[in-house]
Amino acid sequence: MTAPALPTTSYLDPSVLARIGNLELLARTVVEGFINGLHRSPLLGASTDFAEHRAYMPGDDIRRIDWRLFARSDRHFVKEYEADTNTNFNVILDISPSMRYGADAESGRPSKLTYGCYLAACLTYFSSLQRDRVALATVDTDIVDYVPPSAKHLQLILHTLDRVDRKGRDAKLTPGRSTLLAPLRKLSETMRRRSLVVLISDFYEDPDEVIDALSHIRGRGNDMIVFHLLDPRELNFSFSDASNFIDMETGDKMPVIPEYLREQYRKLVQEHTATLAKRIGESRADYAVFDTSKPLDRALFAFLSARQRFSRVR
Amino acid sequence: MNFLAPAFLAGLAAIAIPVIIHLINRERKVVVEFPSLMFLQRIPYRSVRRQKLRHLLLLALRCVALALLVAAFARPFFERRRAGISTTGAREVVILLDRSSSMGYADRWAKAKDAAKKVVNGLTSGDRATLVLFASDASVASEPMATPDRIVAAINAAKLSAEGTRYSSALKLASQIIASSTLPRREVVVISDFQKIGWVNHNEIVFPQGTTVTPVDLGGATSSDVAVSQVTTDRDSTAERDRVTVAARLINTGSAAKSIAATLAIGGRDVQTQRVALPASGVQQVAFAPIAVPSGATKGVVRITPDSLAQDDVLNFTIAPDEAVPVLIVEPSSPRENQSLFLSRALAIGDRPSFRIDQKRVDALTPRDFDGRALIVLDEVAPPTGPVGARLRALIDGGGGLIVVPGGSRTETWPAEWRALLPTIGQVVDRTDDAGGTLSSVDYAHPIFEIFNAPRSGDFSTARFYRYRALTPQTGTTVLARFDDGSPALVERLVGRGKVLTWASTLDSYWTNLPLQPVFLPFVHQLGKHAGRYADPRPWYTAGDVLDLSRHGELTAPFLAGRGADSTTELVLDAPSGARERVTATGANHMITLREQGFYELRGRDTPVGAGRPIAVNVDPAESDLSHLDPQDVVVAVTSVNGQHQPGSEINTATPQDQEQRQKVWWYLLLGALLLMGVETMLSNRLSKATSP
Repeated sequence: MTAPALPTTSYLDPSVLARIGNLELLARTVVEGFINGLHRSPLLGASTDFAEHRAYMPGDDIRRIDWRLFARSDRHFVKEYEADTNTNFNVILDISPSMRYGADAESGRPSKLTYGCYLAACLTYFSSLQRDRVALATVDTDIVDYVPPSAKHLQLILHTLDRVDRKGRDAKLTPGRSTLLAPLRKLSETMRRRSLVVLISDFYEDPDEVIDALSHIRGRGNDMIVFHLLDPRELNFSFSDASNFIDMETGDKMPVIPEYLREQYRKLVQEHTATLAKRIGESRADYAVFDTSKPLDRALFAFLSARQRFSRVR
Repeated sequence: MNFLAPAFLAGLAAIAIPVIIHLINRERKVVVEFPSLMFLQRIPYRSVRRQKLRHLLLLALRCVALALLVAAFARPFFERRRAGISTTGAREVVILLDRSSSMGYADRWAKAKDAAKKVVNGLTSGDRATLVLFASDASVASEPMATPDRIVAAINAAKLSAEGTRYSSALKLASQIIASSTLPRREVVVISDFQKIGWVNHNEIVFPQGTTVTPVDLGGATSSDVAVSQVTTDRDSTAERDRVTVAARLINTGSAAKSIAATLAIGGRDVQTQRVALPASGVQQVAFAPIAVPSGATKGVVRITPDSLAQDDVLNFTIAPDEAVPVLIVEPSSPRENQSLFLSRALAIGDRPSFRIDQKRVDALTPRDFDGRALIVLDEVAPPTGPVGARLRALIDGGGGLIVVPGGSRTETWPAEWRALLPTIGQVVDRTDDAGGTLSSVDYAHPIFEIFNAPRSGDFSTARFYRYRALTPQTGTTVLARFDDGSPALVERLVGRGKVLTWASTLDSYWTNLPLQPVFLPFVHQLGKHAGRYADPRPWYTAGDVLDLSRHGELTAPFLAGRGADSTTELVLDAPSGARERVTATGANHMITLREQGFYELRGRDTPVGAGRPIAVNVDPAESDLSHLDPQDVVVAVTSVNGQHQPGSEINTATPQDQEQRQKVWWYLLLGALLLMGVETMLSNRLSKATSP
């Protein structure tokens, strides 16, 4: 189910990345590789350094005078550049039991949680390069780990993600229905500054509950990007043998003959993602479904295009 | 329905395989962890249910196909039932269980018991069963109206007999039981090895109509056996101690030659062992070296290496000295010179048997003189009267012999009660004028004269009888010899269990020259043996034989010293198993059936155990002949009248193999199984195509 990777991003295949033990190295590999490719990208050519001109004031650095404009207008104007954004970049990672699904030792495909960790690490690293204050919150039924926003917290976040990933691999399932509502409401109360919030989850909740949870973040003027992670088998339901299926969140059991439920399941999943896309779009947040077999750069493209859009709005 | 190979039915357990597969398919033990069943639970369950039902149809097809396959391998067949046979209602079942000696071959006896128990276990409520054990005779072993449990207990308690096989007695008993039954269904099950020697068809026994006869044949087609069939003893008493030479005859009925060890035991001790090479289907004589034996009766055993039929590997015998026949010759108070000389001298010669002769004048006769006597000769004296006469009469009634030689005595004065026992004795016939008469008519079939029957075995024609009494036979008398004028010469009358013989002439040379003829000695011996109830001592008896002690004075005499031969004094007979029986020499209990193999011991009440007279009993030698009889011969004989099969009677003689081969049910079952498998394949293919995504 792995999609053919772009030539320049072939090393970003999640199954290859999974072999890199160091999360920082992984993030750097992804981000720098991505930036190298960025110059060739027609979508990402805009630079935001120049903001406006203002009249020269005594004391200004004469190097900042726009001499070309002086030639045309015979007046001194100074170029004002866009200051460093230095926004808060919050990653909210769902670490509920259902996120541990998808690890496939045979193909090397990581679980949704691992994929989410890679994604969070890359985005955080990227933002850190932008000198944003980065923050991390892992949530289950409540907030589990919280790293407050700081430009210096990259290492802490990477360390936390690494720990979360390892814990997710080793720990046994403790059934319990997770919900985003409570942790997101708590988190929204901690966000005093306008932030860019990236929410990574598999969203096994009713769309109304998801929107309700997101509204607490969006309501405070934060920008949101929602990454919906799904394993290929969750999308295709490509099981063959009749089995006893156990809900990783609730522990419920259900005998399932996949071949007879596949179509209906696919239909329901598509309806679910379509509903989420529509409802999240209506709340002016970005929504993207990610197949964990796909390369990480797609997430980064999505992220940067969103950032570009937000900068224009601002 | 029965099965020829029921063990294959264990394969029905294979039906569990598709069931298990079905169950596994329906509810996998393999557990798949899935992030959330949120969507799956929204799918209506109906589609899964329907799928299960479709699988159940496949499951049923597979199970039935497997069951048919297993049943085909178990080779089923149906019991054949004829029209006219009642197939419903309670049954009267008679189980004839052969317990003859030959059933001890290999594991036949255990199989026979199992077969009998199987029949009992097949009884349903309302059925009635009778267990009849038979060997040389038959007896009902289960009490009337016995429950199956009691019958099984009787089967368990049944023991092998040492007797031979006779089917007629068992079939007759079964016929009587069946005939008296009022139940609608009647069955006779004959469980036997169907030994050919035990079957003689007299066409006398016919089961009632509607009787089903089921033979359970335990006799194998091939059976081999080595048996000790005969032992001869030659006693030599001329030396200081008696020496006996024992020879045994061994028979091998098997088709392979065998080498076995034959051991001779005397008095309970093994004395000699010889290796014998027995040819296939052959006979071999084994002669043991002469051995000194005690003077009394001694136990002897010839034993060979045990084989499949152990009972005939031992032959018991007794080595006994000849018992003298006690004879009392009663002479007149004033006899002629040497009146009894010829008789006494003739009897004194020889040892088979020897005669112990006493002579007594009639006037000195007392009742005690008759004690222990086997033969009394009234040599020209009148029968005594009073207590002596009564004692003599009792002796005769008890089996003793009396030879009356009237001679020239005045018989008309003899007591009437004695004259009634004798032929009418007339006047003296004087043949001196015509050179004497001769014996012209002799009953050579009679034991007295049978040894003279062969050519040059004795010539009575040379004897001349110058005078004799004219005898007129009476009712109940038998003329054994006649003179040439037709007058009886020797007349016999059976009185009680004894014999009274009347000789018309004299036993000395006074009236005849017979005592001077060579034939006189054997004639007197034969006369003495016959009248003195002497029987050649038998070294052994066969199980099932009836021992008549009144005819074997040599057995009882040692324990009746001082008592009369007709004494009702109780004797003790210890069986080999330890069973003790009270018997008498001549009284009510003088007939004993010897049923057990081994040594019986006959002794007086005061005789210590071990000091009695051993009586050897062996299995019937005929039981060693394991020739097999077709059970159908027996069954046809008892279900046919004048060779015609009775309508309504059923001969259930076809073996299960025959019935199964005729019916070939397995073929149809196999075909059915293959068809079902084909249908199953088609159906499952169609279903999988229809349901595949």
